[in-house]
Amino acid sequence: MSTTEIVEKYHPNFEGWIQEFQEWQTRIGFDPAWLGDYRFEIRFDWDSAGDEIEFGDFSGMPKWKRRMQIPQQNIIDAILTMVSVQGDTEFASVEQQNHLLATAPTEYDRKSALRIMCEEQRHGWQMAYLLCTYFGEQGMREAAKLLERNAQDGTRLLGSFNAPIDHWLDFFCFTHFIDRDGKFQLKMLSTSSFQPLAASMGPMLKEESFHLGTGANGLRRIVKAGVIPLDFLQKYINKWVSTGLDLFGTDESTSAEWAYVYGVKGRYDERESEMDADREHLNEASRGLYFDELKAEMVRISKGRKEGEPELFIPSDKFNRGIGMYAGKRYTVKGDPFEGSDGEWDEYLAGILPSDADEKLLMDEYMAPGVEWIQYREWRE
Amino acid sequence: MQTLALLAVDKEKLRPFFSRVPELFEQHHHDSGQKPEMYEELLYKVHRPYTNDMLDMIDDWMGLERRNISGEQEIMLRLFLLAIRYPDTLLFDSLDDILVNDVRRLSAYLHFSSHTYTIWDNDTRKGLAKLGFEIPDTDKADPFIYGAYVGTIELIKDLAPFTCFLEHDVPRQRLFQAALAAYGRE
Repeated sequence: MSTTEIVEKYHPNFEGWIQEFQEWQTRIGFDPAWLGDYRFEIRFDWDSAGDEIEFGDFSGMPKWKRRMQIPQQNIIDAILTMVSVQGDTEFASVEQQNHLLATAPTEYDRKSALRIMCEEQRHGWQMAYLLCTYFGEQGMREAAKLLERNAQDGTRLLGSFNAPIDHWLDFFCFTHFIDRDGKFQLKMLSTSSFQPLAASMGPMLKEESFHLGTGANGLRRIVKAGVIPLDFLQKYINKWVSTGLDLFGTDESTSAEWAYVYGVKGRYDERESEMDADREHLNEASRGLYFDELKAEMVRISKGRKEGEPELFIPSDKFNRGIGMYAGKRYTVKGDPFEGSDGEWDEYLAGILPSDADEKLLMDEYMAPGVEWIQYREWRE
Repeated sequence: MQTLALLAVDKEKLRPFFSRVPELFEQHHHDSGQKPEMYEELLYKVHRPYTNDMLDMIDDWMGLERRNISGEQEIMLRLFLLAIRYPDTLLFDSLDDILVNDVRRLSAYLHFSSHTYTIWDNDTRKGLAKLGFEIPDTDKADPFIYGAYVGTIELIKDLAPFTCFLEHDVPRQRLFQAALAAYGRE
């Protein structure tokens, strides 16, 4: 059951932060008029957050409602880090994407992207609210940094959130693959021992499902339109999947283990799983579930392809990894070890990842103005 | 009636339903009798300006006989679809009797033209009754009865936890209507 509380009165610390937020909007070129009648709100779903700590060493104790109830400074630090990283990604994605509004293929896509950007900003608000309201001076400093780092300058905390999103194909890949990682992170925080954090997640997850749907449907509409060849589209899938997998962090992560011990961040399927957690391989377990979900989704996306087009697939989780046990190693998209020289490896990568020439071909031909490269969908008021 | 229903929500009755929404949706929407692929095509193929062909496609998906209405009534219907704004239902009063005689048909036109109004379905109504929301049975598009039906599903959507929200290419009203229909049949 979801009974959402909308906060009506803000702490002065947060009121001050809102002024900085408005300056950030101007700085990045996001016109507040685009919001229309959308209002940023702070929303909590206390019911789904639960009252008792659900896992870890404090399991069975009441969830912490305020900072003073948190028993150790290192737990406070872990929560602060998680809230800060989450908030950082929310604002970063708006910085990465807002330039795309001017080139939307349809009004439906423009409005969908705008809605996503509004909701990502709201999620950023929610995280800043937690920092400013519950974590005093330290929280206020972290909240201010959410608006100081910038994706265009490459100073956002996670790599994918500094990567340029130059066109709508990247946008749909981002919302499908990277926002899906976001869903996993939010769900893992939805069982948190810090109750205001857990209670923030329900409303955010409801909104996130639209973002993922936009990505998956966008890719499906591209496949149905049949203008962009699927072996070409596959290159973009190859590019984004490894990025998404890397976002789950290192293998045998001690910080993930501590977060679990503290009850701050659970497994993706914490409430559903009947097995005890393997605390030393938490990131690997979540990454595995994410990978399975990607494969199932790709079957659905690929279903609408035209006759003669190859089936799209999710590349091996060993391919092109920057983090974990396969980082820096050479594997093919099928997961086989690559046997060959450096030159042959570069040649292989050039054939399966988008090159500068591919980017040019995409913009000048496949997605050129007037080309119906994506199935039309009407925007409904 | 609607206000009373909203105030009398029995949250305990909703919990078992909410815990099964994805599974129930799957059961109903992906049943071959529901022609899910055709449904999903209609989400794209029905758009302004509405044509007779588009309405025919909706009739076909619903398994209804073609409309037997005059050219003038056809125009009236299309103007109505352009003018109505969710969740208004009072505009039904501006339609000829022949157009409001079939709530299933009219609600389907509204659903595919707006993606918000919910398709009227007897199993869905039974599902709502199991959750404590009694909506009277009717064949006619009564603005108050259909308004209560739509408003109640909207309320359920608001109360649902995030676990109910699939990333499926269907409007959320369809998600809950389909899940309620499967629930109502049990």
